[in-house]
Amino acid sequence: MSTIQYLLDGFAIAFQWHNILFALLGVIIGTAVGVLPGIGPMSGVALLIPVTATLTSGLPIEMAATSSIILLAGVYYGAMYGGSTTSILLNTPGESSSVVTTLDGYQMARQGRAGAALSIAAIGSFIAGIIALIGLVLLARPLSKVAINFGPAEYFSLMLLGLAAVSGLAGKSITKALIMTVLGLLLGTIGIDAVSGIARFTYDQPVLFSGIEFLTVAVGLFALGEVFKTIFEKDGADEPIAKIDRILPTKKDLKDSAAPIARGSFLGFFLGVLPGAGATLASFFAYITEKKISKNPESFGKGNIAGVASPESANNAASGGAMIPLLTLGIPGSGTTAILMGAFIMYNIQPGPLLFEEHPDVAWGLIASMFLGNLMLLILNMPLVRVFAKIIQTPKRFLLPIIIAISIFGVYAVQYTTFDLFLLLGCGIAGYFFAKNDFPVAPLVLALVLGPMIENNMRRALTISNGEFSIFIAKPLSLIFLVIAVLWILIPILMKLRGKNVIINEEG
Amino acid sequence: MNLKFDRVASIVFLVLGILIIIESQKISESAYGSQIGPSTFPFVLGIVLIGLSILLFFETIRHQAMYKIVQEKEGGKSSNFKRFLIIFISAVAYAFLLEKLGYLITTFAFLLISFQTLERGKWVSSIIVAAAFSAIIYFGFVNVLGGSLPKFPL
Repeated sequence: MSTIQYLLDGFAIAFQWHNILFALLGVIIGTAVGVLPGIGPMSGVALLIPVTATLTSGLPIEMAATSSIILLAGVYYGAMYGGSTTSILLNTPGESSSVVTTLDGYQMARQGRAGAALSIAAIGSFIAGIIALIGLVLLARPLSKVAINFGPAEYFSLMLLGLAAVSGLAGKSITKALIMTVLGLLLGTIGIDAVSGIARFTYDQPVLFSGIEFLTVAVGLFALGEVFKTIFEKDGADEPIAKIDRILPTKKDLKDSAAPIARGSFLGFFLGVLPGAGATLASFFAYITEKKISKNPESFGKGNIAGVASPESANNAASGGAMIPLLTLGIPGSGTTAILMGAFIMYNIQPGPLLFEEHPDVAWGLIASMFLGNLMLLILNMPLVRVFAKIIQTPKRFLLPIIIAISIFGVYAVQYTTFDLFLLLGCGIAGYFFAKNDFPVAPLVLALVLGPMIENNMRRALTISNGEFSIFIAKPLSLIFLVIAVLWILIPILMKLRGKNVIINEEG
Repeated sequence: MNLKFDRVASIVFLVLGILIIIESQKISESAYGSQIGPSTFPFVLGIVLIGLSILLFFETIRHQAMYKIVQEKEGGKSSNFKRFLIIFISAVAYAFLLEKLGYLITTFAFLLISFQTLERGKWVSSIIVAAAFSAIIYFGFVNVLGGSLPKFPL
């Protein structure tokens, strides 16, 4: 079957009424998550996994997986649209990927051009989303055909590369990021070993036999960690919001932002495909590029529309691009895609080259629904932007406890144990202190998801080679992955030693 | 960034790494006699963790000056330790009592306490939001979606 045929089948799935509903729900929640400062895409997706699991509980497993993933992915790219709203209206980024949008977006709002900035952000995000999706459609099958020949040694090295990439860019200190990675890998070893059936680090506690649930850890570290941080550090004062006058951009605005949108989309897409880079980095690079090639760079920071169009396109394109390594190789390149991967695994579906062979419905249904979701987001974000702007005004005193209550409900509804609730609260505290002291939590979650797979592939490879570790170097592809992984860690260290600034990715 | 936290963390991780190496030796070897058993992976990770924690300890020594600057910058922030403690303790109580007292009562109580801790007064709106949230989640989840949550104790 050709790619077009698969894609059409995907649309047939995406257009089933319940999947349209799930996509719509996903992008609406995603936009809200993007608008609310304090909940990022990562905690948004993590919080919704239990909710989607119960929503889809009546469906057969493969359909349930498709619908859930459609919703969760909708939250992810929906958040990229919503993030710009607070940056422009409040000068407070809703997510880290919209930080640079504040520079020119808020200035535009002060000049009374808030509507134009918001709509250009939405149009740019839409175009970028579509470009990234076309890239995904074109690259998905060729890439998974290459990956299908990978043996355990190649997989082991590729996953190490994924971990190295995320750790190398994750925080101010690579040492701390690597410590978090190792911690995540260690947490993943708790429970019954899948190969030998022997209990490890369980100390005869029955709750530990099935291992530490990644969902509990992710919700605790991200969602609760952020809530605790806000309770600790912010006072309840709500800031005033800029007014939105006209929504449609002028012809001149459109003309000025066409080229930046195109550049931002391609740049964002390629950075999104690279593991570890992600949306935040993409928006920074897009902004810097625009400023560099602009004829009057001094107009940036004073309300230049290119400074909104380009980064907003880039972060959305990056979120689309980040789906490629996840779906085709089974390697998540960022914290949010790691959580999506965890959702796949919860439904017993392994992302990777076999996904397109064994579960074409899930893979192509998701891709087709993303086209649909981006269209919905464009419609939602243009006329309804005023409604979403209202969400910003949700009082914090209601919002924060409700996020805690949703976390507890979500974890309990999936796990049914009090133990997981205590683990959740513990992870919340840990998440707060880790983040406060620059220990990035995204590598931990990624390592927890990848850990069991890394170990399995390592042991399978070593069984093939009779215990010789040289198998990882002897296979050329595996060697290449390992070399890149080492470089990914070493290059930022060397650059720091030479006194250069390294842009880091706070979203993960 | 906090010098004390990083130092303590590096020592905690060092101890953790040593414990993992010791404990991984207690994992029974797998039956088929391969050298690569269930203990290999944790053992290697334990060694890596020890190495990284030593590295972190040296970094705290090397960057002492930088820590001081950052600390002075962040020193002025006021923290809300008391309100955090109240909310956290009520969250622990919520988790502990959920199965004993049922979802509705515990959720309502937790939300009301937290709302009032973050901002005193406005009792009416607090009670309405807390009651609405617990009721919508409970009846929506149990009756509409067919899930199950702890009921009333009676």
